[in-house]
Amino acid sequence: MSGVRMEEVVKRYGDVQVIHGIDLEIADGEFCVFVGPSGCGKSTLLRMVAGLEDTTEGAMHIGGREVTRLDPAERGVAMVFQTYALYPHMTVRENMTFGLRMNGHPKSEIAEKVAEATRILKLEDYLDRKPAALSGGQRQRVSIGRAIVRGPEVFLFDEPLSNLDAELRVEMRVEIARLHKDIGATMIYVTHDQVEAMTLADKIVVLRAGRIEQVGAPLDLYRDPDNRFVAGFIGSPAMNFVTGVVQDGAVDVPALGGTVSPQVELPAEGTEVIIGLRPEHAKIDPNGTTLTVEITEALGGISYAYLTSSAGEKLIIEERGEISSALGDTVSRTFEPHHLYVFDKDSETRIR
Amino acid sequence: MRDRSRSRMSQTQAAAILLAPFLITYTLFLIYPFFRGVWISLHDWNLLAVAFNPDATEFVGFRNYERVMWGRNIEWGLFAAPFWQITGLIGLALSVILRRVDRLSRFNAIALGLASLLLVFLPGFHPGEGGRWYDRRFWPTVGNTLVFVGLAVPGVTISALVLAAAMNRETRAMGALRTLFFLSQVLSVTVVTLIWQIMFSPRQGLIANITETFGGTPINWLTDQQFAMAAIVIATIWWSLGIAMILFLAGLQDISQDIYEAAALDNARGVRAFWYVTLPNLKRTITLVVILQIILHFQVFGQSHLMTQGGPNDTTQVLVRYIYQTGFRDSELGRASAMAVFLFVIMGTFSVIQFIVGREKS
Repeated sequence: MSGVRMEEVVKRYGDVQVIHGIDLEIADGEFCVFVGPSGCGKSTLLRMVAGLEDTTEGAMHIGGREVTRLDPAERGVAMVFQTYALYPHMTVRENMTFGLRMNGHPKSEIAEKVAEATRILKLEDYLDRKPAALSGGQRQRVSIGRAIVRGPEVFLFDEPLSNLDAELRVEMRVEIARLHKDIGATMIYVTHDQVEAMTLADKIVVLRAGRIEQVGAPLDLYRDPDNRFVAGFIGSPAMNFVTGVVQDGAVDVPALGGTVSPQVELPAEGTEVIIGLRPEHAKIDPNGTTLTVEITEALGGISYAYLTSSAGEKLIIEERGEISSALGDTVSRTFEPHHLYVFDKDSETRIR
Repeated sequence: MRDRSRSRMSQTQAAAILLAPFLITYTLFLIYPFFRGVWISLHDWNLLAVAFNPDATEFVGFRNYERVMWGRNIEWGLFAAPFWQITGLIGLALSVILRRVDRLSRFNAIALGLASLLLVFLPGFHPGEGGRWYDRRFWPTVGNTLVFVGLAVPGVTISALVLAAAMNRETRAMGALRTLFFLSQVLSVTVVTLIWQIMFSPRQGLIANITETFGGTPINWLTDQQFAMAAIVIATIWWSLGIAMILFLAGLQDISQDIYEAAALDNARGVRAFWYVTLPNLKRTITLVVILQIILHFQVFGQSHLMTQGGPNDTTQVLVRYIYQTGFRDSELGRASAMAVFLFVIMGTFSVIQFIVGREKS
């Protein structure tokens, strides 16, 4: 039993409130990812779990134990930092054992745990080096090793891959996924990279401005977002949003070249709504006239077309292979009506 | 082609012109006086006599050095100064043993070994039967200077480190306190000594008042043989705290906050974090501060000259003050220069050490 439970957790710096009463339950062994734009409070929330930030109001439970007022070291958590935060004057071995030595564990036990972590992370050759003599990827491995050695109830990752180059990032992502499978401990992972979020998470928590927008499994958030923010945040390239007006039981969307009939309960006639359409759910129809091709990007396997409507609304469409339309061509798009999402214009909540 | 060579010529010329003011000043005010000083130290050179007759000097070779540092019937014994020599022997043994078990880097082992060797060797000299030092005051003066450096340097380093660690916070109060502690640094030695003469005064001084409040008898700091040196050291620590504190603050800023957070999760906060995280990461700064302070405090003059006039009973007589008196009160410029060269060798040694340590990476 080592889940995490937050009850009405609030964080205030003076008069500025950055976390607005968050309720969240993370099950034992779950991989939970906090995502959100910069400044949404995801790192702050993680640091509140770690005890590096005080919780202003509410209660924090780890493994059924209330830890709201406990010191970081007493919470049974280990943290992996974006900047690695290795002790520069200590060797890899000393870095990994420091916590256990501070807590007075016997030498034999420490050696055993280091051997275990070293094996998992393949760090055998680096044990006697100092962090300065390691590459970024190796440093982050050591930092993860330091967390493993402590045998915590909950692992906390604060954007651990942000300082690595693209190739290493993919490699480490796979490694962290494997680690979670091997150890099976509860993990909380903060990132702004939605690929990391989608691939690693059992559960994603989307945060905005200190509030939870939606909690769910990665594909559930992708298929069934609760509001425009989540719809726009999950998925890459982001969902297209265009405005429309409800008319005769359908929606008139100028940017899409006429009326569309989303399969939802539409609001009253004349109401303005926002229509969402994912780039990968639309296709270019070269015979149309409603949209102008601004730019095309060919990535090899897939291509993107950036289109503009006569009213100036922008759309991105993703196609397999290459796009035959050239710059300045006027085209149209085709799509399946069940791929349309409808959002209320003011509250931005989804109309289902 | 022609253009190129012309521009290269003018570059060299420009370099020469730009460097000239520095080189001329440096030569005129540092290099020339230094060699002139060495030259004078090889002569019998009476300041007053030379003032009236420029030819009244006599080349005497190293006799001034002998007159200052040597004596009649000087002998060397292993137990002439048992305390220092045994300490030196222990240091020598330690340097060998610690190097064997690899607890000491080669550089540190050599440094400790050399220092210990000097400690065994130098105090071993003493006048034999019927012998005496030609200058009875020189070596005790060197000893006083060493005691002063030995007390002031750790005093400054430790108190500056503690203050820096306590004030390494970005609040307005801490900023004000930092300025306040640094302020003493900008005072001139006359002001500092005046302040502390009043502080130490047995009648109206602050320290005497506090002692009396708690029912003690005020100490006559500046005229008591036991306390005079301590008084000078205290004033010096207060005076030269600022620079060391600023250097430590700069060093502390270099330690990333993340590391302290990692340490907090590893159950090392407060004093333990200071011991296991802060101190090891400040090692280079500490070395720098210690060596700079050693070089600075070997030149102590004002505090001793103004607060105690070298007294009582020569217990606070320091090297620079003795050089000053020999040269300008006794007019023995040759002998004074010989002592100055001796001081130069000591400070030069520490400068070289500082240079080597500064270059050594990790």
